[in-house]
Amino acid sequence: MTAQEVRLCGLLLQEHFGDVVEKIGTHLLRSGAQNLRTIANETNTPLDLVKKSLCVLVQHGACEFGSGRRGPGSPVEYRADSERVLRILRYPRYIYTAKTLYGDTGELIVEEVLQRGHMTLSNTVKTVADRLTHNMEEGRNMEYSEVSSTFSKLVETHFLQRCPPVAEMGAAPPTTTPATHGAPASVAPPTAESNPDCYKLPPVKLIGCGKRRHSGDDTEDQRGGKKAKMDSESCGDEGIYWQVNFERFHQHFRDQAIISAVSSKLDQTSSEIVRTMLRMSEVTTTPSAAYTQPLSANEIFRSLPPNYSISRPILDQYLTLLVDDPMEFVGKSGDSGGGMYVVNLHRALANLARATLESVVQERFGSRSARIFRLLLRKRHLEQKQVEDFAMIPAKEAKDMLYTLLSENLVQLQEIPKTPDHAPSRTFYLYTVNQLPTARLLLQRCYKTVANLIERRLHETKENKRLLEKSQRIEAILASLQASEAEPEQLTEVEDMITAPERQQLEALRRHINKLDCAENQVDETVFLLESYIFSTRTK
Amino acid sequence: MAEVKVKQESPDPVQIENRIKELCQQFPHGITDQVIQNDMPQLEAQQRAMAINRLLSLGQLDLLRNSSGLLYRMKDSQTASKMKGSDNQEKLVYQVIEDAGNKGIWSRDIRYKSNLPLTEINKILKNMESKKLIKAVKSVAASKKKVYMLYNLQPDRSVTGGAWYSDQDFESEFVEVLNQQCFKFLQSKAEVARESKQSPMVQRNSSFATSHEVWKYICELGISKVDLSMEDIETILNTLIYDGKVEMTIIAAKEGTVGSVDGQMKLYRGVNAIIQPTGLVKAPCGLCPVFDDCHEGGEISPSNCVYMTEWLNF
Repeated sequence: MTAQEVRLCGLLLQEHFGDVVEKIGTHLLRSGAQNLRTIANETNTPLDLVKKSLCVLVQHGACEFGSGRRGPGSPVEYRADSERVLRILRYPRYIYTAKTLYGDTGELIVEEVLQRGHMTLSNTVKTVADRLTHNMEEGRNMEYSEVSSTFSKLVETHFLQRCPPVAEMGAAPPTTTPATHGAPASVAPPTAESNPDCYKLPPVKLIGCGKRRHSGDDTEDQRGGKKAKMDSESCGDEGIYWQVNFERFHQHFRDQAIISAVSSKLDQTSSEIVRTMLRMSEVTTTPSAAYTQPLSANEIFRSLPPNYSISRPILDQYLTLLVDDPMEFVGKSGDSGGGMYVVNLHRALANLARATLESVVQERFGSRSARIFRLLLRKRHLEQKQVEDFAMIPAKEAKDMLYTLLSENLVQLQEIPKTPDHAPSRTFYLYTVNQLPTARLLLQRCYKTVANLIERRLHETKENKRLLEKSQRIEAILASLQASEAEPEQLTEVEDMITAPERQQLEALRRHINKLDCAENQVDETVFLLESYIFSTRTK
Repeated sequence: MAEVKVKQESPDPVQIENRIKELCQQFPHGITDQVIQNDMPQLEAQQRAMAINRLLSLGQLDLLRNSSGLLYRMKDSQTASKMKGSDNQEKLVYQVIEDAGNKGIWSRDIRYKSNLPLTEINKILKNMESKKLIKAVKSVAASKKKVYMLYNLQPDRSVTGGAWYSDQDFESEFVEVLNQQCFKFLQSKAEVARESKQSPMVQRNSSFATSHEVWKYICELGISKVDLSMEDIETILNTLIYDGKVEMTIIAAKEGTVGSVDGQMKLYRGVNAIIQPTGLVKAPCGLCPVFDDCHEGGEISPSNCVYMTEWLNF
């Protein structure tokens, strides 16, 4: 965990869960696995607060507990997962994807599950139905069955999964395996995928419809809350909690990136073919696979969307073109069935990461430096003179650009001595670019950028706190006046309490905050590409 | 009876020299000592050596060494007349420069080869330059270095830099203009191919242009004052590849088709970028020059960043 990651995680935890959780969370991230007593002592927080924050973190999957280092008898140790905390940054993208695929219902389901961490099926359905009904016109209600069907569709396509069952702690080892009695108890926590039922829906029938909540309904809600609890107890699926399957969403984003790259490089039809191939291998390919399963041309032909009626020979031509393309998105793995084709996932990710690096160099340093950068990526090692010759840039300028890139660590220098004494006049100095370390460097820079954007947003909000509070009070007064049906003059009087320049300032503030939010999402796209690329090289 | 000493008629030294000269003319590649001996067996070694030395000092014979021994060759009468006024040292330096051909030779190298002191060398070089026997050419690699070569020779490409250098200056605008013209040509070809709406194979193949076609197009455009060869155009197209705007394939072509080199042809095609400018550069931090100095609570921090303020008010 680098310092930038910890800083970013701290900011995210603070925004979403508050100061106490942030303190505990960053402490855990910095110091690794610790037990409860140590955490309380080192952070000087009372024990019950520590317990509550750990609960919150565990509920969201950001913290895992396992038996201590000194064997099964020692106190339980907690470990925070920085990757999981960084996913919080990507929540808007997940919700938006669910919206595009499954409509408003899907969007609300995913939003609810993301906010609560783990939820049961019945709870989710009820909450979502209530929310949807609230937004609909009077007299219409959202049926539970509709929400359930969307939920089951999400589970079928693996976007939601069951939470892994909690490992038994301190219990006697099962009698069926007496040989493992003395085995170390530090077993890896079971992942969600290791549960064979992780995508199986519980046999629960939910009948009913969403209840519209009126604004004066507090007491009813309290009673409704109790009633809801009793209802869920009778639903029969307690203990089966669902969480969002981030890997599946990442797979989806990755597929989208590949498809858009193909469509901008070649044309629309090729990207449709690649989209079909990826859709067919959605559930059969593991997330970290280097290639999808081989698909025969016949299968692809049958699975093409019906509005893309291209003939079989044309499809073959497109596939050949895709295989011949230097980007190597698609590869041919055999000739049976009219040709077996795979999508080269790792290579596509490497190409996308390379394009990201090139675009960063281009925007920061100009197109000639980008030319030098691309030249070094292609030719690996080059001398100063060769760089000038190939790139056709005058010697002075080329030297300048190379030294700038070198000082930013985007380009490295490799020395090859001719003599054992490494004399500078008798050594070859070669410039080179290593894609993986450069990608890591840029990733850290992205983290710092996002942290900077969040801090700026908080700062802007703090600066204008007085103004925001005032506008909130005015809005509350307006709302209450409207509810009690006051006269228009009173309304305008209240509205005039905010002067015009203040209104402008508020407007500007809103624009700024929107822009900062947008920028966070955009930088997160870069983070996703670089993270996927780095992860794909790690599992090789 | 005493032995009759047969008195040899000592041949005239001039006669010996003339005979040697005739032999040289008979064998323009050069004659060895052996040949002279065979021709005039009655000549003693001493006399032979004297005659050869005289011819050498007169500058009419050239002394060469090959694997089997020494060779004597007739010197070109023209050059012989030129060198009449010079002495041995100059002749030596001249020979060294001549050997360097059209790449030229640096003054320090002349010193190594002739073992003459620096001052002498400089005097001789100045002398020969004024007699218009040699000339100095500035090298493009190191602008202070001067190489010397014979007066009537064309300097080699590696010294002057070829088509891209005019008077030791790299012509960047010329290269840029050529760059853009080539790219426009390839791009319009790809556009035409895409509009034609034929089958994808045909579309792709027609969007390719061989390096020969590009060369012809550039020549016809007439923007270049210097004649450009196909290799020059290929270096320009390579820079377009490094710009990410063009891709290249090599196909096997029949020998004799226009533009093929060693049975291969290079094809170039304009392409689009595969991604849009990435998200990181859309935030000011991605382009910030003081990124590493920025900390919360420091002089430069996100809260008081001027770049961010400007960007937000945009």
